Amino acid sequence: MPVVAPFSGDTRGVSDSSSNGSIVPFSPEAPNHSAVYALRHGLKPPIARLSISWSRGNTLRVSVLRQPSDDGEAGGRVVEVNLSNGDAEISDAQWRRIAYGSVTPFALLQSRRSSVSSLSKMSISPSHYHVDWWEYVMEYSKDIVSLLGHRKSPSGTVIEDPREIVKTVEEPTSLKAAWDLMEIFYADKQSQPWLPERLVDWLTDYDCLLSSTQTTVHSKLVGFQKELVSLQVIEDYPKYWEVISSALAIGWLELVVKMLRLHGSYELDQLGNRETENGLVEAVAVLISKMPRMRLELAEGKAGECFMAKPDFMKAIHSGNPSFHLTMNRIVLSVAGFDVGNYSLFPLLINQGLESMNSLAQKCMQLKPMSSTHRLIELMVGILGENTEVVLAECSRAFGPWMVAHATELMTAGSDQAEVLLHEERDNLGEMSIAELHRLVYAQVLASHVLTWQIAPVYLISCMKQGMGLLELLLCKQPVQHNETLLKNIEICRLYDLDSVSSNIMKVAGVYHWKHGRKGAGVFWLQQARDEVRLNRIAKYLFDSVGKSISDESFKQWEGLIELLGSESKTAGGLDFLHKYRDFKKSLKQVQVGKTTDASRQAAESLISLMKNPSTPQQFWLPLLYDSLKLLNWQERPLLSVSQTNLLLNKLQELSMAKLRPDFIEVDLPPQALSSVRLALATNLGRAILEE
Amino acid sequence: MEKSLVDLENGTTCSSWNYSGQRLAAGSADGFLSIFDARDSASSSFTRSSKSRVHDTGIVKVVWIPPEYGDAVACVCADGTLSLWEEVVEDAQPLQWKLCKSFKSNSSQVLDVQFGVSLSGLKMVAAYSDGHIRVYELLDPLELKNWQLQIRNNLIPPRHAFLPLSLLYDFRFVLMATCIKLLETTNASLCLFFMRCPFEVWEFDQAHQRWLPVAELALPGNKGDQVYSVAWAPNIGRPYEVIAVATHKAIALWHLGLIPDTDGRLSVEQVALLSGHAGEMWQMEWDMSGMTLATSGSDGKVRLWQSNLNGVWHEQAALEPTT
Repeated sequence: MPVVAPFSGDTRGVSDSSSNGSIVPFSPEAPNHSAVYALRHGLKPPIARLSISWSRGNTLRVSVLRQPSDDGEAGGRVVEVNLSNGDAEISDAQWRRIAYGSVTPFALLQSRRSSVSSLSKMSISPSHYHVDWWEYVMEYSKDIVSLLGHRKSPSGTVIEDPREIVKTVEEPTSLKAAWDLMEIFYADKQSQPWLPERLVDWLTDYDCLLSSTQTTVHSKLVGFQKELVSLQVIEDYPKYWEVISSALAIGWLELVVKMLRLHGSYELDQLGNRETENGLVEAVAVLISKMPRMRLELAEGKAGECFMAKPDFMKAIHSGNPSFHLTMNRIVLSVAGFDVGNYSLFPLLINQGLESMNSLAQKCMQLKPMSSTHRLIELMVGILGENTEVVLAECSRAFGPWMVAHATELMTAGSDQAEVLLHEERDNLGEMSIAELHRLVYAQVLASHVLTWQIAPVYLISCMKQGMGLLELLLCKQPVQHNETLLKNIEICRLYDLDSVSSNIMKVAGVYHWKHGRKGAGVFWLQQARDEVRLNRIAKYLFDSVGKSISDESFKQWEGLIELLGSESKTAGGLDFLHKYRDFKKSLKQVQVGKTTDASRQAAESLISLMKNPSTPQQFWLPLLYDSLKLLNWQERPLLSVSQTNLLLNKLQELSMAKLRPDFIEVDLPPQALSSVRLALATNLGRAILEE
Repeated sequence: MEKSLVDLENGTTCSSWNYSGQRLAAGSADGFLSIFDARDSASSSFTRSSKSRVHDTGIVKVVWIPPEYGDAVACVCADGTLSLWEEVVEDAQPLQWKLCKSFKSNSSQVLDVQFGVSLSGLKMVAAYSDGHIRVYELLDPLELKNWQLQIRNNLIPPRHAFLPLSLLYDFRFVLMATCIKLLETTNASLCLFFMRCPFEVWEFDQAHQRWLPVAELALPGNKGDQVYSVAWAPNIGRPYEVIAVATHKAIALWHLGLIPDTDGRLSVEQVALLSGHAGEMWQMEWDMSGMTLATSGSDGKVRLWQSNLNGVWHEQAALEPTT
């Protein structure tokens, strides 16, 4: 299903027929137009409407709605499609293992990059920087490679079947093959002189992969091995010589030696008759097993002699034997009675540079047009063509976002030109670089899965321009209902100093809990979010409900919350006030208008004590006085003394001053409240003076 | 692989996912609102957790309210009423969806609604059939019932209406198209509105508390084209905004500069004209990075559009629903 590799690269100027000029198709089957994928929903037509919505990362949800009908079937279905790149070769679980495993090497390399660049800003010599950098990249590459599977271990201990030419071991993955290839060409500066030999090794490891789409030396060998059992006189069989020459052409010397020794003249009963012939074959075998090879070391069981430096190597090649390899080739081929003139890639690899390799590769591809090319061959051609953009596009198309996001590090280590190309800001991309773009794309793939979204931030923060923006969006889209996800979210915010995102997340969580009956958790998270506006609302709401319902049961329910609020919220006033407030409301209810009783006097005392108390929130002053209007306007005689009335008037004065301050909280009272309180107080004052 | 998440009931007319993609709200032709929930955050199996009657007539659009204001949706009904519903647990009662507020008007119908969070709080922009745009402001952040009419737009040319279709997340801009009432069918509740180019971008002028047009998204030859849909791409750091406008001809992608010139206008540039959907365009949705545009249309396909490294937009893939 949809394998949408986002962001194909640019392959302008590449005469590859599978890329239609400017766009690399993401599906080899559809070179000239976008692919159409079936979206199976299983509903009975007709379909009335499609509604689309993006979910995590690259996940698209499509609501398929049917026309209303009475057929008893579902009216619609929501289908989710993951547009991330999948790789049939690697299981989802394996992918996740690779994704998690590559985080540490990637992060380490990024931190090294930033420390190196800060060092170079401090004018430490740039050459020093270059010398060290590829070593860091190699370390990174080795870490990544170890995730992609283990190298074939040479089976030295088992008794070898002399007739077994090719060992069948666990199949390597194309992904690892591609990574190795990139490492060989771009990152491993130390092995640059031995590049051909590294390619020979690479081919030994991965030629079997290429066999899936085309005839390779490996597939020839495997095919020949199957026939081997039934062959009597092996040297009379032309394929024997053809296979030997193919193996020699790509430098699999030990295989050649092994095969030569299958020659009939080695048979015990033949040795007597064919002594000369056997001597010749053995001489060839010995010569081949002593062939000079320019490489650091050879694994046990490998044929050839190592030369580390080019001069020594060249001397060995030319010592009395001008065209050693070709001669060898000719000997073998002539022994077989074969037409000499077969191509030989191996000597060319040794003597020529990349340029001629490329032209040779192009020539080979023209000579043998293939119906479908293996993705590794496409990548190889891109690398030999020394076109960074093509290599990127091939990586993206064939191996997906993980590969591009990680392999750009190898490519930038390879050349300054690639470094500039991948890291320069582009207007087309909204001022980000290609490297950043590929990291963003990969981060979105990670974000598509609930098990991998947590590692997306590592890649996002390495994007200077737009990574943080995407990270903020990603975090805001995480659900807050589950505490585990919520805490993880907050932890990520803390790691990357995203305070505003973190407080927004906590605000959403607070409101969620508050509205879903978990008031304590709601208040807690709103406090964490420092959401004063909502906390004030809650405080007022609590006081209101305490004021309204004075049953002990509901009071208890609020008590804990008040305590929670009181410890941090300045405006909440604390329990002390709440108790007094409740008592006051109680006594106010018992007051009967017109009759001076203990109840009315007690209510007036409560009012004064509340207004005197410093823990009474200012926002409650006016509501308290407004609630007490009937006490202030007491008919029979004034309930408040002159000094008490003055105290209340002073509080009113203080309130009107406070109104000018920005943090003043407006209370929800009728507009005439203040004036009616003022009038009542003034009247009371007059009457109290007269009485006293 | 595609995966089936939810089966919807017969008569479902619209659906909408919440901010985290964990809840789905679906409206039906008989006025029911259904809510589907994932069992846990890792699960992809959804079950219906609630079903409530919202209105006598069908629901035509469901919009989730930003999560800072609770788990709530706005339902636009076929007769033009707008109601806000919220999931709450009150006192000892079980979890329920409760009506918070209903906006009704005898003279005009609500056509569309959008929410935006600004510094001062939650705002709701509603487009009415009488040609007015009304902007409401929520008074109490914990209660969805108290709304104050902040602005009733003062710039309507006669006989024209504006329809806000896409609202930028931070409420700085609103997109509007002139909308001409073309046809009133025999069914009095159904009016057809066609939006026509030029498509305009309006900006809210905080200092003077009014909306002002700042840019026009149309080429001279396209004036009068019918507009189907519009979508504002999320901006994660570009120095310009990206807007997709679908007309009956094609999808135009516009870049909108963010620095106003001396007249207060913003620069616009049409960067792509994409054709693919034959017929009417239903919906356009940008992914979270604003790099992929998904579209659906009456040709029954979902198409995905991306730009290559040279800024050239193209159709990347199409999804064709089959049984």
